[in-house]
Amino acid sequence: MTKKSKPGVSRRSTLALMGAGAVTFATPWVARAQAKTIKVGMPTILSGRVAQLGTSSRNGVTIEVDKINAAGGLAGRQIEMVIRDSKGQPQEAARVARELVNTDGCELLIDAEASSGAFAVHEVARDLGVFCIHTNSETSSLTADPKQHIPNAFRTARQGVHDSIVGGGYAAAIAKAKGLKKWATCSPDYAYGRDTTAEFVYYLKQFAPDVEIISDAWPKLFQPDYTEVVTKILQAKPQALYSALWGGDLTSYIDQANIYALFSQMEVFAVNMADYTALTVVKNLPKGIHSGNRYIKTYPATAENAAWADAYKAKFNEYPTNWSWENATAMMLLAEASRKANSADGKKIADAMRGLTIKSPFGADGTVTMRAEDQTLIGYAIGWGTTIPSEPYVPEVKSGDWKQILALEAEWKKSKGYT
Amino acid sequence: MTELQAERAGKPLGVPRIEAKSQRSRYLDVLIAIAAFAVLATLPFLFSSKALLDFVIRCAAFGLFATSLNLLVGYTGMISFGHGMFFGLGAYSFALIMQRTGVPIPVAFICTLLITTVIAAVIGAICVRLKEIYFAFVTLAFQMLIHSMILSWVSLTGGDQGLRGGIPRPVFLGVDLSNYLHLYVVSCALLVIGLLLMRQIAQSPFGYTLRMIRDNAVRASFIGIDVWRAKLTIFVLAALFASTGGIIMSLFVSGAYPEFAFWTISGEGIFINMLGGVTTFLGPMVGTVLLLIMNDTVTRLTEYYGIVLGIVILFFAIGLRKGLMDFVVEWYEVRRDGAKERAR
Repeated sequence: MTKKSKPGVSRRSTLALMGAGAVTFATPWVARAQAKTIKVGMPTILSGRVAQLGTSSRNGVTIEVDKINAAGGLAGRQIEMVIRDSKGQPQEAARVARELVNTDGCELLIDAEASSGAFAVHEVARDLGVFCIHTNSETSSLTADPKQHIPNAFRTARQGVHDSIVGGGYAAAIAKAKGLKKWATCSPDYAYGRDTTAEFVYYLKQFAPDVEIISDAWPKLFQPDYTEVVTKILQAKPQALYSALWGGDLTSYIDQANIYALFSQMEVFAVNMADYTALTVVKNLPKGIHSGNRYIKTYPATAENAAWADAYKAKFNEYPTNWSWENATAMMLLAEASRKANSADGKKIADAMRGLTIKSPFGADGTVTMRAEDQTLIGYAIGWGTTIPSEPYVPEVKSGDWKQILALEAEWKKSKGYT
Repeated sequence: MTELQAERAGKPLGVPRIEAKSQRSRYLDVLIAIAAFAVLATLPFLFSSKALLDFVIRCAAFGLFATSLNLLVGYTGMISFGHGMFFGLGAYSFALIMQRTGVPIPVAFICTLLITTVIAAVIGAICVRLKEIYFAFVTLAFQMLIHSMILSWVSLTGGDQGLRGGIPRPVFLGVDLSNYLHLYVVSCALLVIGLLLMRQIAQSPFGYTLRMIRDNAVRASFIGIDVWRAKLTIFVLAALFASTGGIIMSLFVSGAYPEFAFWTISGEGIFINMLGGVTTFLGPMVGTVLLLIMNDTVTRLTEYYGIVLGIVILFFAIGLRKGLMDFVVEWYEVRRDGAKERAR
């Protein structure tokens, strides 16, 4: 008689499956301590609508890490990046950050999270005491609010309030010259959009007191259709429009507003226009949109900046973004601080990094500084200009004055009760 | 899924013996709970890995959440798409109370549960009158309402940046939750106690009333059961356990974020239930462990997490047509029956 096979899975294969499960379960927790290389963990967003944030952050870091490793690494130790996707969820960002430190043995963190993720990673840094650089969060309070301050966390991203001061000053000068009194705003409906718009309007009115806002539109983040927003603005008939839309939202908005010839009816100030993510994607880039510089190859107009952008383009076959330079700057500062401290120890690097000034292709005067008091980046190139439809897209950029920025920032901090 | 439940519900219950049997199974449950807690509590002494502790803490948070959802989905037949709101509510209430008032942690814990009770009672009173898809969508609507409130009430909740600045953790009764080991043990205790309580609810006469409502609400009301009240009670009870899960999560990330109250959390809860199975009590817990293992290993290996997860969902939905625990239990029964057959 032949033996009938039993229905379902056999006991032996069940055991094998369970064994395999146990192995996958246990291996990650075997921390691999390697003295020679230093692991740097990087939680970021590599999937979903803002995946470009993660890929350009990774590229920005990679290009610098290659240079640092070729030059001998951090105090003689080669850098190994461990980059993980948080899917843009703060609890995942916190988990990934913890795992990078506790399991993968990362000694330093580059936090390339956006918005809420950065605050979640900040708490992890506070909890574990691990050295951490925030590279993408532009929310001013992350470093400005003394309650957030911890000695081991830094920021190399631009800061919302800096942009608003420069933007407000630039827009006010044009408003005065062209007599633009009636303004409208159109910004994404979340913290970044609301805060930056409020700050911009505040400084615009500071510099040009007779400006009034006659209409405001708040499209949802990642909204696909902007018809109602465009018509609302057109009906209000403002003389000028401010927008903090960015990335895909900004390009969709421009493509749709172009149909209504919005750009010929008013002056448009779009702070996030001058970034290759937007410039190269818009179908018909209108002439004369005013924009802050996010990242463009021609500003600062130095050989170093152009060379950096070309090297980046050659390596990744795309232009750098705002996120690229912010992350590259983190690695540059890290390398210099480590050299100065002659150590790869997070605490010593942090001590060396406070107040550190380095040469940088992205500096307003060829250098950037990690300000000691609130551990955030200052002195980076910041300015506004107008667009043309083809390269170099923004031919002339009017630079912001860092003396003025710092003075007004100090006032702003006081008004917020931060100092 | 429903066929399976109907089949099971069709079996005679053996009414006279049920009292003694339930008494015995209650002791057994308590013993299992104590044993489970003992095992979890000794883990940190056997393994030095902090990530394992992280993993168990997250399992506790999501496990409580998913099991409480199963009280609604599996036991009462109310498919809630908005259960995540109570997860978020727990996280926010607890974190806010700790940040703003500085009361001892147990007080904040109880206050959070009270707040959840009130809000769940109000929302439940409106929702549980509705059936099936209408119930699902109104719960979803309330979830979005709470999510929008968290987003727009910036001065209280911090808006979409989340609640920042960390959660203060004063020591109570010698427990210091800023010590990771203490947090781990407390999370395990909450998980085990929560599961034990939910098990008792599920096995109580009230639990069997719920099953009856699930299988035939009209019949239940004809024999004198106040269906609305029973549904509301379980809705509030489930909310309390979800809220406890939220509290654990807020302690884990030391803050609260609007994503905790977003529909994706509810979706994850439903997915965990699909993965683990809804006909066994521990199904959602198994589902939680599976999902978290999958999440942690897959995100480690690839950025295309969504694809892998989608394939797994398809495998369970189309391939197995039931959750893992359903499958295991059924397979075990088939084997046992087969053995009996051969013995005859």
